[in-house]
Amino acid sequence: MIDILGQFLLLVGAILSALAAWGILDFPTPLARMHAATKPASLGLASMVLGAGLLTDSYGLTALGALVAVGLFLTTPISGHLLGRAAYLAGQAPELVHDDLAGTTPSPGLTQTRRSFAWWRVAVLTVSWLVLWQDFALGTAVAGLLVAVGVELAVAGWAGERSRISVLGSLLFAVRYVGLVVRSTARVAWEVVTPRNEKVREAIVRVPLRTRSESAAVLLANAITYTPGTLTIDLAEGCLFVHVLHFEDVETTIADVRRVEELVLAAIPGPIDA
Amino acid sequence: MNDVVLTVIEGLLGIAALLATIRAVRGPRLVDRIVALDAVLLLIAGGLAAESARGGREYLLPIVVVVALVAFTGTVLVARFIEWRDT
Repeated sequence: MIDILGQFLLLVGAILSALAAWGILDFPTPLARMHAATKPASLGLASMVLGAGLLTDSYGLTALGALVAVGLFLTTPISGHLLGRAAYLAGQAPELVHDDLAGTTPSPGLTQTRRSFAWWRVAVLTVSWLVLWQDFALGTAVAGLLVAVGVELAVAGWAGERSRISVLGSLLFAVRYVGLVVRSTARVAWEVVTPRNEKVREAIVRVPLRTRSESAAVLLANAITYTPGTLTIDLAEGCLFVHVLHFEDVETTIADVRRVEELVLAAIPGPIDA
Repeated sequence: MNDVVLTVIEGLLGIAALLATIRAVRGPRLVDRIVALDAVLLLIAGGLAAESARGGREYLLPIVVVVALVAFTGTVLVARFIEWRDT
C-alpha cells in the first residue's frame, strides 16, 4: 500500500517537473517563465522526495523526505521573489500592461520586532537536526538542542515581543496553503499543455497590506506566490507588489490578495492597519 | 520498486532537463538562464530521489537535501548579483 503511494508520488512528481520544464521553455517572457519555475517545479520535487522517502524502509529517511518537501515550499517562493525583483530592477521584465512598482523606493516599511524566545521553534530546529543527522541517539539530541537554543538566542533573544500564533488558524492556513499550491500548479500545468494563448497580460499591482507584522507579511508573500496566476515581486512601504499573469483590473487582484491575507491573519493575529 | 515505472520517471526527468537546457542556451536574458539552470538542478535532485528508490540505494536521499540547498542558495546568490550589477 505504502509502496503504491510512494510510486504514485514519484510518478506525479516527475510529470509535474516535466511540465515545469516545458513551461520554462514555452512561456513568452522571463516573469511568466518564473511562474512555471516556482509552482509545478517545487510541488513536483516535493512529491518525488516524499515518494522516495516513503519507499525506503527507514523511518528516518521518510522523515528526511518530509523535511525536504516542507523546506521546498518555504524556500522556492523566496528564490522566486528575489529573482523576480532582480529581473524587474535590472530592466529584464518588459511588456507590462500595468506597473505600480515604477519609481518606488525599496524599504519594507514594517515594524521590525525583536521576538522573544520560543520553545516551539527550538523544538522544530532540534527535530530537523536529528533528521538531517539520521541519528536519533540521546547525544545527538542534546547537541541539536544546544545548537537550536544558540540559534534562537542569536535570532530572537530572550526578551521581546511574544509572537502570537493561533494553533487552529495555523492548521486551517496549512490546509489552505496546500490547496493553493495544488490549484496554482494545476493552472500552470493546464496553461503549458494547452496551445499558447494570447491572453497573457502581465502586470505588477501594488496591494496595500492590512497587517503591520513582519512574519505575517512574509507568510503572505510566500502564499501569494502559490496563489494561481500571481507571484510576489517586492515588499515595500507596507505594500506587496504582485506580478499577475492574466491581468484584469487592479481591484480583482487586490481582492484576491486580501482573501489570502485573511487566512494569514487567522494564523498570526498581529497588529493591523485599519 | 517497479523498474519499468522507475525508467519512465527517469526518462521524463531526462526530457525535462533537456527542455530546460534548451531555454538556458537560448536565454535571451540572464534571468531566463538562471531560472532554467535552477530547474535543471531541481530535476537532478528529483532524479536522485527516484534513483534512491531502486533497491539498496537509500544513501542517495540525503544527497537530495544538499542539491536542493545548493539550488536555493545559488539562485538567491545570483539574484543578489544581478541586482547589484544592474542597478
